[in-house]
Amino acid sequence: MAGSEQIEQTAAAWLARRDSGSWSSHDQARLEAWLDVATAHRIAFIRLDAAWQHSDRLKILRAGRSAAAVPPRGTRSAIRFRAAGDPRQRTATAAAPATTRTVRHALATRRRAQWWRYPAAMIAAVLIVALTLGWQRYGAVKQTSFQTALGALQQVSLADGSSAILSSDSRIVVTLSRRERHVDLQRGEAFFMVAKHAGRPFVVSANGRRVTAVGTRFAVRRDQTDLRVVVTEGVVRLEPGDHDGRERQPTTLLPAGSVALASDAGVVVHADSVQQAKAYLEWRNGFVSFHDTPLAAAVAEFNRYNVQKIAIADAAAGKLRIGGNFRWSNSRAFVRLLEQGFPIRAERRGDTIFLHHR
Amino acid sequence: MDDSLNDWFCREILVHEGALMRYLLRCWFRREEIHDLRQDIYVRVYEAAAKARPAMPKSFMFTTARHLMIDRLRRGRVVSIEAMGDLDALNVLVDDLSPERRLSARQELKQLSAAIDRLPDRCREVVWLRRVEDLPQKEVALRMGISEKTVEKQVAKGARLIADYFHAGMAAPCVPTAQPLDAEQEN
Repeated sequence: MAGSEQIEQTAAAWLARRDSGSWSSHDQARLEAWLDVATAHRIAFIRLDAAWQHSDRLKILRAGRSAAAVPPRGTRSAIRFRAAGDPRQRTATAAAPATTRTVRHALATRRRAQWWRYPAAMIAAVLIVALTLGWQRYGAVKQTSFQTALGALQQVSLADGSSAILSSDSRIVVTLSRRERHVDLQRGEAFFMVAKHAGRPFVVSANGRRVTAVGTRFAVRRDQTDLRVVVTEGVVRLEPGDHDGRERQPTTLLPAGSVALASDAGVVVHADSVQQAKAYLEWRNGFVSFHDTPLAAAVAEFNRYNVQKIAIADAAAGKLRIGGNFRWSNSRAFVRLLEQGFPIRAERRGDTIFLHHR
Repeated sequence: MDDSLNDWFCREILVHEGALMRYLLRCWFRREEIHDLRQDIYVRVYEAAAKARPAMPKSFMFTTARHLMIDRLRRGRVVSIEAMGDLDALNVLVDDLSPERRLSARQELKQLSAAIDRLPDRCREVVWLRRVEDLPQKEVALRMGISEKTVEKQVAKGARLIADYFHAGMAAPCVPTAQPLDAEQEN
């Protein structure tokens, strides 16, 4: 039997053909014959068809739009999903409503007060509108912060159409203005999928450095004073902040596949394949992966995700090199595998597991 | 087609695709097999439901998923220390099992419009004209100055991507809520 991707592709071709408008009873019979061949065919078609039928509801977006031009991305969501009761939606569109509400409020005030009799009220109203518009245009629109607990991951949508996945124990503060989209990575690590906005760069700052992108995918992580940037799509620019006292370091351009480590000593860039770079981002799927990694570093990685900490009891244990892929939520299995396959003895004391060399 | 079975399948099984995918991604290290695995799970659930609808569709689906993964491991297609470590983990936790994720009309629309925004440019334009403006494929072709065959191809591509985004609910936050699997199964 064909692979599932192949089947899905064929199902999609049937659906598109049926959608094309020239669909005869003969075509229908052929489709049904294909569906009868295997349940796999049938479920693939049902699945695509269900979503496609649902997308019929999108017609509602046409309301109030005169020309049949295709609008740029993300324009509707800001308008239509405003007064949502769902907090999730509110975070997604948090930037837009505050200002519009002020404008509406100002207009309502004008009507009620018979404004032509009160020039002062009118001037005030006009001022409010002007200030609001000016603020909207030049100033910071809205600050939103997101954070995750130890061992949790969270995907968040930002109001500009970008999204981010926060790793365990991480915190970002997002400030969207007309000139710049700014994210302050205050703790941990985050992966960003940046929506393209030419002239409105997406900047992540952490540890006194700035990472700038215009429409790309990359992750930034902080470790005390160091910073790690992994790029999986597009190009980002890594630059030192302008306020720090340390020696001025040059700006580095990082193409897709780069893994850059920035420390006080400078910036080290490994230019790998995108596939290799993605190995650093397996945490998004619940895994950490090691390749010839010193046990001390592997343990530090586990500790980013778990309340129960692992500690290296002696230097000899820390120097062992290990490889493999592990679920970060299951540090017990990791320790058990270490005990089975390496000269390691684990000792549990309170919340910590100590690893001794045997 | 048995429409009531198909409706049941959409209503009770496909709505949990997001949770199922997260579960599979977590437990199954071979990323390239997940599409196949998902198909096998759906096929098995659909065929079982054709005989008798399970009382707890969601638990039934996750139990099926677990059995299929264990089968695959036993058949020896995957032999690696990672997989063995993970088989062990299958018994430990299942994330995202808890809250039902039925969408309100508003959320659904939001999800759909987010899905359409994530399509590649040309595909998005085709789907927009076809689904939002409700133009027939022929007119979409005229307006964009491309062949009808190309429009049909873009519709096929769009349908697949929209299905992925829509069923998986990419917009929903994945806040892990750990819960023992054993409480869920064999009900």
